[in-house]
Amino acid sequence: MPLTGVEPARMNRKKGDKGFESPRPYKLTHQVVCINNINFQRKSVVGFVELTVFPTVANLNRIKLNSKQCRIYRVRINDLEAAFIYNDPTLEVCHSESKQRNLNYFSNAYAAAVSAVDPDAGNGELCIKVPSELWKHVDELKVLKIHINFSLDQPKGGLHFVVPSVEGSMAERGAHVFSCGYQNSTRFWFPCVDSYSELCTWKLEFTVDAAMVAVSNGDLVETVYTHDMRKKTFHYMLTIPTAASNISLAIGPFEILVDPYMHEVTHFCLPQLLPLLKHTTSYLHEVFEFYEEILTCRYPYSCFKTVFIDEAYVEVAAYASMSIFSTNLLHSAMIIDETPLTRRCLAQSLAQQFFGCFISRMSWSDEWVLKGISGYIYGLWMKKTFGVNEYRHWIKEELDRIVAYELKTGGVLLHPIFGGGKEKDNPASHLHFSIKHPHTLSWEYYTMFQCKAHLVMRLIENRISMEFMLQVFNKLLSLASTASSQKFQSHMWSQMLVSTSGFLKSISNVSGKDIQPLIKQWVDQSGVVKFYGSFAFNRKRNVLELEIKQDYTSPGTQKYVGPLKVTVQELDGSFNHTLQIEENSLKHDIPCHSKSRRNKKKKIPLMNGEEVDMDLSAMDADSPLLWIRIDPDMSVLRKVEFEQADFMWQYQLRYERDVVAQQESILALEKFPTPASRLALTDILEQEQCFYRVRMSACFCLAKIANSMVSTWTGPPAMKSLFTRMFCCKSCPNIVKTNNFMSFQSYFLQKTMPVAMALLRDVHNLCPKEVLTFILDLIKYNDNRKNKFSDNYYRAEMIDALANSVTPAVSVNNEVRTLDNLNPDVRLILEEITRFLNMEKLLPSYRHTITVSCLRAIRVLQKNGHVPSDPALFKSYAEYGHFVDIRIAALEAVVDYTKVDRSYEELQWLLNMIQNDPVPYVRHKILNMLTKNPPFTKNMESPLCNEALVDQLWKLMNSGTSHDWRLRCGAVDLYFTLFGLSRPSCLPLPELGLVLNLKEKKAVLNPTIIPEAVAGNQEAANNPSSHPQLVGFQNPFSSSQDEEEIDMDTVHDSQAFISHHLNMLERPSTPGLSKYRPASSRSALIPQHSTGCDSTPTTKPQWSLELARKGTGKEQSPLEMGMHPVASAPLSVFTKESTASKHSDHHHHHHHEHKKKKKKHKHKHKHKHKHDSKEKDKEPFTFSSPASGRSIRSPSLSD
Amino acid sequence: MADAAATAGAGGSGTRSGSKQSTNPADNYHLARRRTLQVVVSSLLTEAGFESAEKASVETLTEMLQSYISEIGRSAKSYCEHTARTQPTLSDIVVTLVEMGFNVDTLPAYAKRSQRMVITAPPVTNQPVTPKALTAGQNRPHPPHIPSHFPEFPDPHTYIKTPTYREPVSDYQVLREKAASQRRDVERALTRFMAKTGETQSLFKDDVSTFPLIAARPFTIPYLTALLPSELEMQQMEETDSSEQDEQTDTENLALHISMEDSGAEKENTSVLQQNPSLSGSRNGEENIIDNPYLRPVKKPKIRRKK
Repeated sequence: MPLTGVEPARMNRKKGDKGFESPRPYKLTHQVVCINNINFQRKSVVGFVELTVFPTVANLNRIKLNSKQCRIYRVRINDLEAAFIYNDPTLEVCHSESKQRNLNYFSNAYAAAVSAVDPDAGNGELCIKVPSELWKHVDELKVLKIHINFSLDQPKGGLHFVVPSVEGSMAERGAHVFSCGYQNSTRFWFPCVDSYSELCTWKLEFTVDAAMVAVSNGDLVETVYTHDMRKKTFHYMLTIPTAASNISLAIGPFEILVDPYMHEVTHFCLPQLLPLLKHTTSYLHEVFEFYEEILTCRYPYSCFKTVFIDEAYVEVAAYASMSIFSTNLLHSAMIIDETPLTRRCLAQSLAQQFFGCFISRMSWSDEWVLKGISGYIYGLWMKKTFGVNEYRHWIKEELDRIVAYELKTGGVLLHPIFGGGKEKDNPASHLHFSIKHPHTLSWEYYTMFQCKAHLVMRLIENRISMEFMLQVFNKLLSLASTASSQKFQSHMWSQMLVSTSGFLKSISNVSGKDIQPLIKQWVDQSGVVKFYGSFAFNRKRNVLELEIKQDYTSPGTQKYVGPLKVTVQELDGSFNHTLQIEENSLKHDIPCHSKSRRNKKKKIPLMNGEEVDMDLSAMDADSPLLWIRIDPDMSVLRKVEFEQADFMWQYQLRYERDVVAQQESILALEKFPTPASRLALTDILEQEQCFYRVRMSACFCLAKIANSMVSTWTGPPAMKSLFTRMFCCKSCPNIVKTNNFMSFQSYFLQKTMPVAMALLRDVHNLCPKEVLTFILDLIKYNDNRKNKFSDNYYRAEMIDALANSVTPAVSVNNEVRTLDNLNPDVRLILEEITRFLNMEKLLPSYRHTITVSCLRAIRVLQKNGHVPSDPALFKSYAEYGHFVDIRIAALEAVVDYTKVDRSYEELQWLLNMIQNDPVPYVRHKILNMLTKNPPFTKNMESPLCNEALVDQLWKLMNSGTSHDWRLRCGAVDLYFTLFGLSRPSCLPLPELGLVLNLKEKKAVLNPTIIPEAVAGNQEAANNPSSHPQLVGFQNPFSSSQDEEEIDMDTVHDSQAFISHHLNMLERPSTPGLSKYRPASSRSALIPQHSTGCDSTPTTKPQWSLELARKGTGKEQSPLEMGMHPVASAPLSVFTKESTASKHSDHHHHHHHEHKKKKKKHKHKHKHKHKHDSKEKDKEPFTFSSPASGRSIRSPSLSD
Repeated sequence: MADAAATAGAGGSGTRSGSKQSTNPADNYHLARRRTLQVVVSSLLTEAGFESAEKASVETLTEMLQSYISEIGRSAKSYCEHTARTQPTLSDIVVTLVEMGFNVDTLPAYAKRSQRMVITAPPVTNQPVTPKALTAGQNRPHPPHIPSHFPEFPDPHTYIKTPTYREPVSDYQVLREKAASQRRDVERALTRFMAKTGETQSLFKDDVSTFPLIAARPFTIPYLTALLPSELEMQQMEETDSSEQDEQTDTENLALHISMEDSGAEKENTSVLQQNPSLSGSRNGEENIIDNPYLRPVKKPKIRRKK
């Protein structure tokens, strides 16, 4: 849906090279935010903002700002009262009267609504009229000071209050508040230009209780008591131009820790956690040093603050000169597992300080550059801190994730370009949401977007070398810091914004290389590459005949043309070959260097120069090939499925030194359950030099192989003797040594092995008794008294192991599960779980890892029929007040229960929690889990799928989640998973009494507003007539739904289209237009404004409203005429989807026209006619279709 | 009354074990003695010329006689003990009698008077057997340097050291086994107790006692319990910090430990973790000179308050 809003943005992009052009007719230079009252009891905030603005055009008469949730009392410009209008179309995306339930429609409307207030398009929710007294002033382009008084009551998004309900003052209770949100969400807590591209300097003042600390961006200039000495005011100055979206705030009774290494860095945490804070942040200075060194640039801000808060929205949020973290990242020195994770979070946030906060983006389509650079330098930090193995493993993991996601959803586009002339087609038509705007993006898509961004940066590095890469970053940073020091030249500040073109230009300037093909492939285009490789060795020619095929037709794939590295390990050494992948060449001949000579005893050189002895007896006598790897450096975003013999995979696992290759071979060996594979895996497991993650995945592979070989397996269960040898006492092999986790590799292996072993199954598909006893003994003899580290993660994994050992219960006649028929093994397991869970109440473990594992295990027992399936326990653990990890685990179980037991009650309970839970993260997570493990999907018959649920979810995403972008997108995802893009199949077909409706509509069209009651009556009147028929209509449809899925969609689409038109008749204000709706319904209109409104240019929207009405009025007859033919052959749209999509194009046009100009009503009619005639043409075809029998019973009969 | 007399009557014999309320042998003994005293009183009365006497008066006189004899015994014992002996001598009795105002010189004449009556010896009743408490071995004879009148050594069990060498359980397996089951028992008992005394949840609808789960109770500040190490862990941490993981019980562990240090695994992490204490120490010294805006004192409000 092309919108007015997008147009200026597009222009920016084209002129990107020359610099930034603001979409706004003014330049913001300075903003004051003053919050002088924060009430924790009432969760309210009172304050004002003052924006210093320079007009850039002479006739500036309206200023649009962003503001959500805020109640605005008064706006003054240069001390003159100014009228303003407040309208937010995203509050309710589709209007409640609408019967639309089609996601396509919603997504379009939502994208339109977001664009309508998008600051990057110069729009905003708050429209301020410049008082006429100042017009002259404005014409001289003189400064305007906009002063806005506002308050915020019980904010649902943007600011999050945490107020524990205990005795004591707010400070004693640990009450705190902090800003949060997804992308630019600052408008939720104060009026601003909520764009990453509008930079200005800031003065921030917060008056808080004397026992509290207010942490915000920039330098704390001073702290001053109020006159009654009961409060104090924190004065902050941020002299580096910063976007409003990077402004943040955290207020609470924080404990303060000045970093012992860097005194300008201050850490804050909630009361009692200071020891943990000390330990957790003790590492931060090293991260600082690392980034400053590689970027050869000092940290841009004069200070840095880290705040650790409870109920965090995300684990890490970076803002200008401060980062907000989840308090759950804090840990003591005894905790092993959390330490690297927390450090990674710290490093991530710091990388974003440079790229993301200090350097901001020009527009949404440049986001990938920032995410890419910050992710890339974070990767460099990983490499330095955790080593190359960990780094490569991480890259591989990220690559697998993005590949899986793109293949599943159809692609992630890093640099979307919108609205170009003929590009009618949405660049992301495969998705159920619009990618034009961050706020319409599914959270999962966004995480994958970030993942792809940093991988692409790595590809660029591969192309131009790291040295040049870092030079480019340095250039960007030094440009920005020069610009930021230009205090009074605000036009220079746009140097602090990065754009795709600017970035690419820097690259070509610095490196002199042309990376355009790379950019085109990975940035301007979505999709990944899917290679299938196989080979044959031609002995005569001593040539390796490699065949590489590509799948570029499946969704999410693209064709790759260009160089591809292949590494061949031969007897004489390892050789790299670069193949040119071209259009039609599938086969590549690679000459081999070595003759096959296997009798000579000679060491075999590896890629890294190492020479090793190998037992070559397993290999093919004729071939000198040990193993082959395609794209070993992961320099293409690809998935490779390569076929080579099992012994080659085994050699690769044993001798290839690259962890990625080892990982790949482990994955491949799953398909070769042979003693040789077993031996290779066992050897790897025992090898201490081998990367611990490889050894961990070898455990699971070994379990799988053992299960496939169950009938021929000899010896004790897999890994048992190994574990005994490594971790048990020599004198009594059934007893594990007392814990000593000094060696982390051993620790991780010790944790993992039992979990993998529990997956073993005997010939009856049961977990061997021996294994279960073994695990129970591990638990029994676990002794941590002498350990320096906590064993909570270890014990949690032991419970996971117990859960893994559970197999489905053998049930006779579906008897009720009681204690009496409990399997004795399960009884032992339950005994342990009960004890662990109860002990947690007395001696809680770090982050309650054990409770989490116990809850999961109980759900496994329920699911396997050993314990009666019952969500009550989980529901009690899911309540607010439990630690968040416990809640999530419990909710996961409830979600699973909802699916398995098809429980409507539990689904309602979950939905209720989505709407009402105090913690935004939990609400988001429930939606996310429901989407991942849905109670039903669109092609599934389910008793849960009913109209009420559709309405409920629709309401949730339409209006219930307007305060949280992420939540709304989560709701959209869920709706998509449950019902698909088109109208949910469980709904009765929409108003088929088309003509009848139309007539009634006509009758009510002329009055300006349709009374609700009348509309309701209409429906009541319609329903009896249409419903009996609908019933008859619907059933055959639903039964044939599976075969005719596409057709059904088309029907829905067309119906959506038709009813959309009806809606347009009914109410001219489409979502895109809705900001021009009369103030009475949804806009906050201030009395003083209402008089001035008509005489000033603000009436423009109302004109267009009138026009739209007129337009629709004129349309009536042609439309009505048009409808008759439709009615006679309504199912002709069964033919092709394309018709439907064209329809939607048409009506997009209409929107556009309504909004823009009054012309061309006729144009629309023409379309209408065309459309009709098309349908007529296709009529014969329709009759021959299987659905034609039904099509005769057209809705017109209902008339 | 008779009882009280009976008890007191035991005094004269010098053994003080008569206060026992035992039923048979001791009672018989006392009764017999008393009967003898009564015979003595009666014969004295006859000697004095009484034909008959009321029972009550005979009783009274018996009582008086008994008291008198008891007092002689008690007093004589005191004199004898005063001179660090255990057995009274004649002189002890004499001194006692003198002390009591008795003219000792008249005694031989009285004893030899003509009209005295000879009483038959009382029937020999068995002296009550004091139940031997613990006769552990032979009492030691006095060594030559201790005079024989000194008291005998007490029963050997009161002073003889008998070291009981039960083989200590040194078997590692048994120790571990024991530690594990002990801990498990304690944990189970404790959690069961908690479950019994508080609210519970159950996995089986029909049964609440087999697998009782302590009911989940939300916290007001859940992150505190989740993040802060428990006191036990803190204590443990201190202990292990001081004594760096010594594995005396399990030598294998030690070997492993060393080999791990050699491999230098994850040295980065461990070194940072170990560094910590020294780090905080050095920090304290510097803290005074740190200039951080958050540490600065809060200013007093200005008189001219800016709007």
